[in-house]
Amino acid sequence: MREITVAEAIREALSEEMDRDKNVFVFGEDVGKFGGCFGVTMGLYDRYPDRVIDTMIAETGLMGICLGSAYAGMKPVAELMFSDFATVCFDYFANQASKNRYMTGMQEGGQAAGLVVRAPNGAGFRAAGQHSQCMEQYFMPIPGIKIAIPSTPADTKGLLKYAIRGNDPVIFLEHKLLYSIKGPVPEGDYVIPFGSADIKREGTDVTVIATQMMVHKSLAAAEKLAKDGISVEVVDPRSLKPLDMKTIMASVKKTKRVVLVNEAPKTGNAMTEIGLRIAEQGFDFLEAPPIRVCAPDTPIPFSPVLEDKWIRSEADIIAGIKKALS
Amino acid sequence: MLGIIANPSSGKDIRRLVAQGTVFDNMEKVNIIQRILSVLNYAGVKEICYMQDSYQIVDRAVTYLERNFKINLRIKELEIKYRYEQNDSLLAASSLLQMGASCIVTLGGDGTNRVVAKGCGDTPLIPLSTGTNNVFPVMLEGSVAGFAAAVADIDKKHEYLKLKQKKRLNIYKNGVLVDIALIDAVITEERFIGSRALWEPETIKEIFVTVAKPDSIGMSAIAGSIYPISEDEQKGLYVWLGNNGNVETNAAIAPGLIQNIKIEGYSEIGLEQKVNIKTKTGIVALDGEREITFGKNDKVVIGLSNDGPKVVDVGGTLVAAAKEGYFKGRWR
Amino acid sequence: MKLTNKDLIKLYGDMWLVRLFEARVQDLFASGVLPGFIHLGLGQEACMVGTCFNLEDGDIIGATHREHGVLLMRGVSANAIMAELYGKVTGTCKGKGGSMHTCGLKEGALGNNAILGPGQAIINGFAYAHKFRNNKKVAVTMFGDGASNRGEFHEGLNFASVWNLPTIYIINNNGYAISVPVSKQQKIQDLSARAAGYGIPGVSIDGNDVLTVLETTAEAVKRAREGGGPSLIEFKTYRWRGHFEGDPTPYRTNSELEDWMENRDPIKNFGKDLLEREVLTEKEMKEIIAEQQAIVDAAQKFAEESEWPPESEIYTDVYYNDEGGAQ
Repeated sequence: MREITVAEAIREALSEEMDRDKNVFVFGEDVGKFGGCFGVTMGLYDRYPDRVIDTMIAETGLMGICLGSAYAGMKPVAELMFSDFATVCFDYFANQASKNRYMTGMQEGGQAAGLVVRAPNGAGFRAAGQHSQCMEQYFMPIPGIKIAIPSTPADTKGLLKYAIRGNDPVIFLEHKLLYSIKGPVPEGDYVIPFGSADIKREGTDVTVIATQMMVHKSLAAAEKLAKDGISVEVVDPRSLKPLDMKTIMASVKKTKRVVLVNEAPKTGNAMTEIGLRIAEQGFDFLEAPPIRVCAPDTPIPFSPVLEDKWIRSEADIIAGIKKALS
Repeated sequence: MLGIIANPSSGKDIRRLVAQGTVFDNMEKVNIIQRILSVLNYAGVKEICYMQDSYQIVDRAVTYLERNFKINLRIKELEIKYRYEQNDSLLAASSLLQMGASCIVTLGGDGTNRVVAKGCGDTPLIPLSTGTNNVFPVMLEGSVAGFAAAVADIDKKHEYLKLKQKKRLNIYKNGVLVDIALIDAVITEERFIGSRALWEPETIKEIFVTVAKPDSIGMSAIAGSIYPISEDEQKGLYVWLGNNGNVETNAAIAPGLIQNIKIEGYSEIGLEQKVNIKTKTGIVALDGEREITFGKNDKVVIGLSNDGPKVVDVGGTLVAAAKEGYFKGRWR
Repeated sequence: MKLTNKDLIKLYGDMWLVRLFEARVQDLFASGVLPGFIHLGLGQEACMVGTCFNLEDGDIIGATHREHGVLLMRGVSANAIMAELYGKVTGTCKGKGGSMHTCGLKEGALGNNAILGPGQAIINGFAYAHKFRNNKKVAVTMFGDGASNRGEFHEGLNFASVWNLPTIYIINNNGYAISVPVSKQQKIQDLSARAAGYGIPGVSIDGNDVLTVLETTAEAVKRAREGGGPSLIEFKTYRWRGHFEGDPTPYRTNSELEDWMENRDPIKNFGKDLLEREVLTEKEMKEIIAEQQAIVDAAQKFAEESEWPPESEIYTDVYYNDEGGAQ
């Protein structure tokens, strides 16, 4: 199978969906000729000059356009330059788009809120405290919103196409360090529905649930531990809302031990919700309490020496797995 | 003491919505007032009283002045019941008359001056144009206006202050004088006052003007395009429109808007002459704004008189003042 | 503006419908029947009726919790609105929105956004869709003097002006944001002055004269339809009741309220003009009022007799396909 990067996969998804549906349009700061701050939308402007639009530095105004045009039946795909900026326009996620179907009783003419907000997530770029966060945990409690958190090019493309075709508001989190990662991506049209977790590596001794960069680190950890005779199963939820608890529970029932790995700080981490559900539903067969491998409860430091220690490493995951097995 | 009545380019004029953009014209008014106040301060005028407005034109000018000069001028806001509407100008003018102001500088269009004229009595006016659609006020640089006002302030006996007596139209409804106009009174078939602006030229039936100037725009221009009458001539013009006449003319009825107008007839109006209007029901618009409604049971009569406001002849005054040595010597 | 007698009579009747509907809501709330919060638009009828007169099918208007009247003007049934205020399943939103979120999306009434601000940004999305589809429709956002201080006001106007969107921003300046008077909220007197900062026209007018409102919004709507871009209009008006029902209004004087109710009542003054112009007789006016009253009475009866929403409604409409709703 051919191999392309995450960035190329996103570009393909956008391009294919824009060909397929004239109502899809892309906008954000510097997405046009500049091709986006991470180069993801490079080349799209040349293909669709009237549907790839640069906006001012005005996230609330931008989200307003996004929601209003979605309500009016268009399919906007907005790009927030960094997922950290989601809090600037958080009202549009928390109080507006997520609730519009419910509060209007799904009225005819307004039940569509088919909007996608893409944003680069995560640390490792030395971008310091306000440009390096993983933000998925902020969206976990919001009823009515969907969260995509892919880790591979193939997952990214399939989820993005599904998100664009849907009629619900989606926060589509991409990891900055993953843009250049290559992976196999099928040719042709395909979608991956939300609420379908993926077992990235089968195993029998312990389940590791991980997202984005942590998926790759967990796979590396699993490879190392295999040499010591430890069989690790790595489950990638791919979407946090809706969440595929079925796959997760099936895995935990098999291995009876679980380690939850997420790059964000520990308190209120997205894994907290998953961990508690596992404890509730798996109390009878779990042989160890759920172990979390998350960052310290501090902002992300700038100095490379500090940032590299702040971000959980392969070694941290291995330690977590060993703890679960002890 | 002299007075200042400045109206902001309204916010109230909905013709702005038809234009493609806005201009910072209120800031230009602030500049004009700044220049006037600088001259008044320098010339040793003691006190000015001004009308507050919704853009705070005079306040802004004073702020600039205080930052840049030592101010000896006492600048007081008039104490009237402000509603930030047209009527404020009338209350301000009456107040200044009562207080014995030596003159009133106005910034505004024909409409503002019309309202000021209703309250200013014999107080001389220096009406400054801000460049659009105005027949009554004059285009004058702020400093020059400042000098003219300073002269008016000290020349109590009017030894070199030269004044021009303006004409006015008088509107009588059922025998009672209800309102005046400085330039034009227009009879339209519109039924409601609403936003005041005259929208549909087709509804205009009759036009009365104090001056008929082809070098203007609006009703005075329509009249002036067929029968010019200057400010100095002791007469006005009455024009009635319709398809049954044999005169057609072309004039700019608004900035950039030229129309063909069919005229049924026209005649001069002499001073103290009164004319019964022909239209049975409608609205009388005064100096560009719908003002007075009338129905089939109302009798509306329009007359011309010589008791409009007194306006300072700035050129004549400053020449006379210069000849008297007003500008000479050390002022500071 | 060429208005026929029929138009004038409709304007009169419409203002009465809004007045009577709001008055009934006031009574029902006072008697404990209506749950939650109510914000009445009594006194601001001309703003709503005059504006909506100029809108057609396909146009959209979003207003605030004070503008049940806008929904009525766009053709949302009084029955459905009243039922929504009660919380019944026959309401505009199946009882799931209430007064704070009632709307009529297919009638072009975006309804309330109970957060004051997003409405001013979201409306541009609709305007953008109109522009994209080249359908000559307009998008109106109506909010108060208080809401005009939100960041969205500025971001929204900026977007609308730069992208030349067919959006019309309307400020119902009734002098107070809950208890804070305008003098403590803005440095300027005429809020339309802010338009200059975005290079668009702005105008401030008497919001209690329905014809002035009508004429002004007609111009703005025409401009927007023709591709002339956005406008900002400020209506000077006043609310007869407190910010919400139950607000004792210690921040206003009785004499101020009396002046507005006695001398600047939009319906009373318009009625006087209509009588003078012989458009309506006193008898005909009474008949019109009775007709509107009947609509309001029917709405109350409808709401009273309607069912409550079933418990299952808690769990529906979270996602478009109700997938993965409440887990």
